[in-house]
Amino acid sequence: MLLAGLLASVEHGLNRVLRLDSTALPRLAALEGKVIEIDCVQPALKLFVLPDEEGLMLAAHWESEVDCTLRAPAGRLAQLALAKDKTAVLHSPQVELHGDSAVLLDLFGILQDLELDWEHELQRWLGPVPTALIAGHLRLRARWTRQGLARFGENLSEYLAEESRTLVGKREAEAAFSELDALKVDIERLEARLRRLAHTLDTSDNA
Amino acid sequence: MTDQRKGDHAEPTTHFGYQDVPESQKAKKVAEVFHSVAAKYDLMNDVLSGGMHRLWKRFTIELSGVRSGNRVLDIAGGTGDLAAKFSRLVGPTGQVVLADINESMLKVGRDRLLDRGVSGNIEFVQADAEKLPFPDNHFDCVTIAFGLRNVTHKDAAIRSMLRVLKPGGRLLILEFSKPTNKLMSKAYDAYSFAFMPLAGKLITNDSESYRYLAESIRMHPDQETLKSMMVEAGFDRVTYHNMTSGIVAVHRGIKP
Repeated sequence: MLLAGLLASVEHGLNRVLRLDSTALPRLAALEGKVIEIDCVQPALKLFVLPDEEGLMLAAHWESEVDCTLRAPAGRLAQLALAKDKTAVLHSPQVELHGDSAVLLDLFGILQDLELDWEHELQRWLGPVPTALIAGHLRLRARWTRQGLARFGENLSEYLAEESRTLVGKREAEAAFSELDALKVDIERLEARLRRLAHTLDTSDNA
Repeated sequence: MTDQRKGDHAEPTTHFGYQDVPESQKAKKVAEVFHSVAAKYDLMNDVLSGGMHRLWKRFTIELSGVRSGNRVLDIAGGTGDLAAKFSRLVGPTGQVVLADINESMLKVGRDRLLDRGVSGNIEFVQADAEKLPFPDNHFDCVTIAFGLRNVTHKDAAIRSMLRVLKPGGRLLILEFSKPTNKLMSKAYDAYSFAFMPLAGKLITNDSESYRYLAESIRMHPDQETLKSMMVEAGFDRVTYHNMTSGIVAVHRGIKP
């Protein structure tokens, strides 16, 4: 019952979030009738996801046939949830996928493409004027933070590579790697010539 | 449940809570109870169960195995909690029938579902669980949630549900049952006979209906008895799951 209560709360919250994106629910409607089983092996926990035009239904048990089963440890599932390139994670050895994988990939696609209209939700609670003020302020802060972080990243890499010489610069590293590659190819060629020479000497001795 | 008979010529009696009433009177008395509480039925369910009824119903749906295109009958469907979920699960190609013997409950349920936009694949039928007005082998799943204890002839109702199910179809009976823990049982008795009528008085101005609710729960067959009733009616693979220490149990049987 505890798990059922938890799932009911998560489902309620998730569906509220999905409603904030105007395209998510029509796209989920295309998956109506499909049952996806997510089987976490460590810790052992099963979750069934049933998409439809009203959002997602989550269940701890499901008695009818499932269309797709995803089996993986919790770590991999978390990685899958966060990763941008989900196909790479799905191909890792600890992840098992059975059934119609297109259903799962479609669901991931919908969740990944979510663009939440949080201003609309805020407007429902606070009204248009406070929402516009708060949203403007938040957008400004977000832009400032994004720009600040980008500038900090650039400055830090420049300092570490150029001034403190703690790290090698990108171009310098690329040149070194290219030299190493050329050296590797030269050694392989030399190795091949020596092998051929040794082979020639062996055949002339026998004659 | 076994109904008692008084003398050879007297009308058979059955229980209405702790009272014995003529069989012909029970349906009328139950109807009066539900006419009285229909308007605030959902609120009372939330208050009296602390919202737990939603989780009990959720688990019942998980056990139903209903999927797209199925035909589902929800008997004593009341305000349509289960029917709304089933309507989502069966999709536009399926069908859900919400049946209730009580006109007031059916009206509240229909209005509530239509207000929530649940329509298209759902029908509302006023029907007696003992004489279901549907063809044989018609439904993939039949459910009755918190309704069986109000039925006069439970055996007849279970047989009727068996008849309308397709072979391989499932019957799910969600109903109050007997707590499995003695301490819980004592606390539950105190709660049922003290708090429930009081809450009924405060919210619906009707303590008698909630006294009936508490009494009818005590008169309802326990887990094993209901299981044997389902087996006798002809159900196969009958199992039950206790929830909240047996305060509620969901029985499931498959039509062979």
